[in-house]
Amino acid sequence: MTDGDFLRVSDVSKWYGDEQVLDEVSFGMDRGDVTVLIGPSGSGKSTMLRCVNRLAEAQEGSITLDGEEVLSPDTDVDELRREVGMVFQSFNLFAHLSAVGNVALGPRRVLDLSENEARERAANQLERVGLADQLDSYPAELSGGQQQRVGIARALAMEPKLMLFDEPTSALDPELIGEVLEVMRSLVDEGMTMLVVTHEMSFARAVADEVVFLDDGRVVERGPPEQLFERPENERTGRFLERIASHD
Amino acid sequence: MSVAGPLALDASDSLGALAPSTASGETPLTAAAVGSVSESIDWWLVGDPADWWFVVRNVDYLAGGVLLTVGLTVASILLGFLAGFPAGAVEVYGEGLPKRLVSTAGVVLRGTPIVVILLVMYFVIGVPQVNLGVGSISPAISASILGLGLRSAAYQSQIFRAALSSVDDGQLEAGRSVGLSQFEAIRYVVVPQALRRSIPGFQNEFTIVLKDTSIVFAIGLAELLTRGYDLFTQETTAVLEVILFISGIYFVLTFTTNRALDYLGTRYAIPEGESA
Repeated sequence: MTDGDFLRVSDVSKWYGDEQVLDEVSFGMDRGDVTVLIGPSGSGKSTMLRCVNRLAEAQEGSITLDGEEVLSPDTDVDELRREVGMVFQSFNLFAHLSAVGNVALGPRRVLDLSENEARERAANQLERVGLADQLDSYPAELSGGQQQRVGIARALAMEPKLMLFDEPTSALDPELIGEVLEVMRSLVDEGMTMLVVTHEMSFARAVADEVVFLDDGRVVERGPPEQLFERPENERTGRFLERIASHD
Repeated sequence: MSVAGPLALDASDSLGALAPSTASGETPLTAAAVGSVSESIDWWLVGDPADWWFVVRNVDYLAGGVLLTVGLTVASILLGFLAGFPAGAVEVYGEGLPKRLVSTAGVVLRGTPIVVILLVMYFVIGVPQVNLGVGSISPAISASILGLGLRSAAYQSQIFRAALSSVDDGQLEAGRSVGLSQFEAIRYVVVPQALRRSIPGFQNEFTIVLKDTSIVFAIGLAELLTRGYDLFTQETTAVLEVILFISGIYFVLTFTTNRALDYLGTRYAIPEGESA
């Protein structure tokens, strides 16, 4: 398989104390690709995702984004994060700011846009995720699905070249998952490069260019979704998919 | 008046050694007095008109005390905030030497009696007179502000430390994920939430500092409570009236400030919905 080299993860390893949580993980993505990381909880997929924007520090290996080494000590992490959007499992919306305030904070303080420009950009992004009528609502006044869409808008407002999704629907009531996946699908259609950790296998099957199965910090198997889901080569992949399917 | 009601007896009793002259030679509480509480309730609760007149005649003297009390409180709370807020932040986000220094200073200040702090400021360190353009602040006052202010900083640092720590880590992380620096994320995301959460603790601290200003008598200053004490030792029949009067002033000061802070808390409350 030829790896993309827009985002290239090579032999990344990480330890928490003595415990190794990532073991020489490698994969690559081209611009516009959607890669989905799957695996049992504790397999290291969220940690892998967080290493890409340095919210977690990998100790070995290399991650390059658009040719630049991410893990280098010389990398300006604030600049890196400006270009890499992140959506959290627990939304992590700024509790004291309205929807528009949440989305505008980055453009205002990081990109130094004027108050008006930042608000306008925020309003546009909220419209993009279907929340044009909730601009002034506070996080606690929104449903989980709406909160997560604000979270997506907040990341999009920085005009990132890569979006990271860390189990974006895992904290949602089942009836609210659809609206978030719908927004994510629309981003796929727009050609956004997305690295997604999720348990939503039907979403992965529908939109992923590549699925990476992690277990115990290691890449057990990876490939296009039709191959990985229909004809898993590794027995562990098969067992994981069966367990997941039995809960669907 | 002479002290005849239970409230007045309590008041002079609780002053104990401070006011021996008022406690001695008073009319003892008689069975008759107890029996006639219902008819005498008016006058023992409000005091003797002649003694109230004594308070009124000395209202200037007390007003000077109010001024000192309020001035010391405002200056100490302000100094306490300016030093205590950063100190709390260093305790939460700092590491290494700065964090150790700040937390040690806090432990020492909180563990030392306020009288000792004031005596050290005044007699040991010898805080000098401070000259402002319009006037000067006496060494005793600047020592008081420094002592009360630093002590308050040590307590306020804990209010803010708790408030900063109570903000979920995900908030800071989300701030950093859009490219804010650590400082910016704390400044724009964590601090606004922490300040709101520190209002109740701050109300406590304000009330404590206000009433603790009376301790400056130890270095020769006479604020409201000390001036009240001066008055009723002169006019020993007016103990109740003086105490009621200055208690009223303390009440007005704490009540209005607490209400103002309540208003601030409501005004800037983070809206909560039903579907959180």
